[in-house]
Amino acid sequence: MSTPLEAGAAAPAEGLDPPKVGGGLPWIGHMFSFASNPYRFMEKVAAKGGECASFTLMGQRIVLLTGDEASELFYRSSDEQLDQSAAYKLMTPIFGEGLIFDAPIARKNEQLKMLMPSLRIDAMREHSHKVVGEVEELTANWGEWGEIDLGDFMKQLTINTASHCLLGREFRYELSEEFAHIYHDLEQGVNPIAYHFPNLPIPAFRRRDQARAKLQKLVGGIVRKRAQQVDKPSDMFQTLIDMRYEDGTALTENEITGLLIGSIFAGHHTSSGTAAWVLLELLKHRRLLDRTREELDTLLGPHGEVTFQSLREMPMLENVVKEVLRLHPPLIILMRQVSQELRFRQYRIRPGDMVWACPPVTHRMSKLFSNPQQFDPDRFGPERREDRNLMAYQPFGGGKHKCSGNAFAMFQIKAIFAVLLRRYDFELTAEPSSYVDNYKEMIVQPKSPCRVRYRRRSPASFAKADGEPAMTPAQAAAAGCPFHAQALGQKGA
Amino acid sequence: MSTRVEVDEGLCQGHAVCTGEAPAHFRLGADGKLHIVKPEIDSADLPQLDAAVRYCPNQALRLVKS
Repeated sequence: MSTPLEAGAAAPAEGLDPPKVGGGLPWIGHMFSFASNPYRFMEKVAAKGGECASFTLMGQRIVLLTGDEASELFYRSSDEQLDQSAAYKLMTPIFGEGLIFDAPIARKNEQLKMLMPSLRIDAMREHSHKVVGEVEELTANWGEWGEIDLGDFMKQLTINTASHCLLGREFRYELSEEFAHIYHDLEQGVNPIAYHFPNLPIPAFRRRDQARAKLQKLVGGIVRKRAQQVDKPSDMFQTLIDMRYEDGTALTENEITGLLIGSIFAGHHTSSGTAAWVLLELLKHRRLLDRTREELDTLLGPHGEVTFQSLREMPMLENVVKEVLRLHPPLIILMRQVSQELRFRQYRIRPGDMVWACPPVTHRMSKLFSNPQQFDPDRFGPERREDRNLMAYQPFGGGKHKCSGNAFAMFQIKAIFAVLLRRYDFELTAEPSSYVDNYKEMIVQPKSPCRVRYRRRSPASFAKADGEPAMTPAQAAAAGCPFHAQALGQKGA
Repeated sequence: MSTRVEVDEGLCQGHAVCTGEAPAHFRLGADGKLHIVKPEIDSADLPQLDAAVRYCPNQALRLVKS
């Protein structure tokens, strides 16, 4: 066993073991302290053991790689050196056999490349009005004011946009209830037990398999129906129907189903958590909210339509989203299994080890980001450009396996807030410091409950244009609006 | 002094932002790979190329002065 102190000593030719952070139970290792708060645990491991530190979890040695140099080793190593598939094989029953992590490397890369045309910026021309339409639909019966759970709202909104843009109209409208059940059962089937026993006869796995089979049946039905249509829809589903492997073969219904599930799983909770945090951070930092609003009003005008063109360049909102992704990256652990021995400085990382990257730990290193604990979107401005170092700023991972939905995600969040922030005022209902991340979720989300109040914005200007008289503040307060009640010095509703 | 644009193929995923910003310089192949069709940049094209570099979601492009 080596300690950080030994790191300075001359390394033997075969290399040293990475510093081991001790204290865990035999075999189980640090499971309990890890499970109670994975982020805090990894922060502690990195603080004690440095940028290449090891610990044990259920008999598996894990080497935690943090900081830009060790991250470079993680992201730039080849598939032959670091195997992504072995680390994520628990997803196979959900994505399907022969898909993504269950396919040989070359096949997997071909499959993932097939998703790209639907995630490219030119596809956003088609997607932008769908996203705007979904925001409008979900807020249609909001009325003048009210209160929502922001986490639930964003989860609903982003599953609607994802199913609309990726799965298409059939699942979004005709099969939306069936899809909601299927999706629920697939999500409940994501369980670390599947690493060791993917087919354990437990109810969650039985429902998972039934849901997967049912989805494939529905997909097959739509493929046949669409074959008869002259005007094909513009969604990822259709792109996959038309797609061919390099050898000319088309995707099977199993493969179309698996790639659609994969893209929804990759994009849903990651986007919902990020979108929720954008609003929460803006409400915690009202001056940034004002600046973001000003930018939107200047770019879009009071009644400007939110279009692909108008969404292209929004530096303030973009930097707010980037800063949210720095402090609240939805994925806090990225994993690979070591297939060939690797060296980091004097340390030897052995085949069979797992290596983990941990974006939230690297994102809070003061040698990489100035005042790292502070929410400061201006760090990404043209003078400071703290996102320049791609091995430091890594909310979407990095290297060849970087999340290919990154541009789609940014675009979608800009579209959501271009609508929401211009139409509504928001405020937190609880102490700002009580809104925190729930690190126990596999994809990190703000801790529930996560309540915010909304009120339709500037009734005067909007009402005038619509030809309806606006309510006076006194009328609004009398009718129970908590914003106006506070503004008039009354007790909150 | 002349300016050229270069792509880091290890970073490019083919988001095709650059082909929208500076269509005369970039083309996305049927294989999803980016091709630089005109690496040399005239000063008149510089604003377009700057935008392509700035908006690349993967920071895969850079301008090299020589």
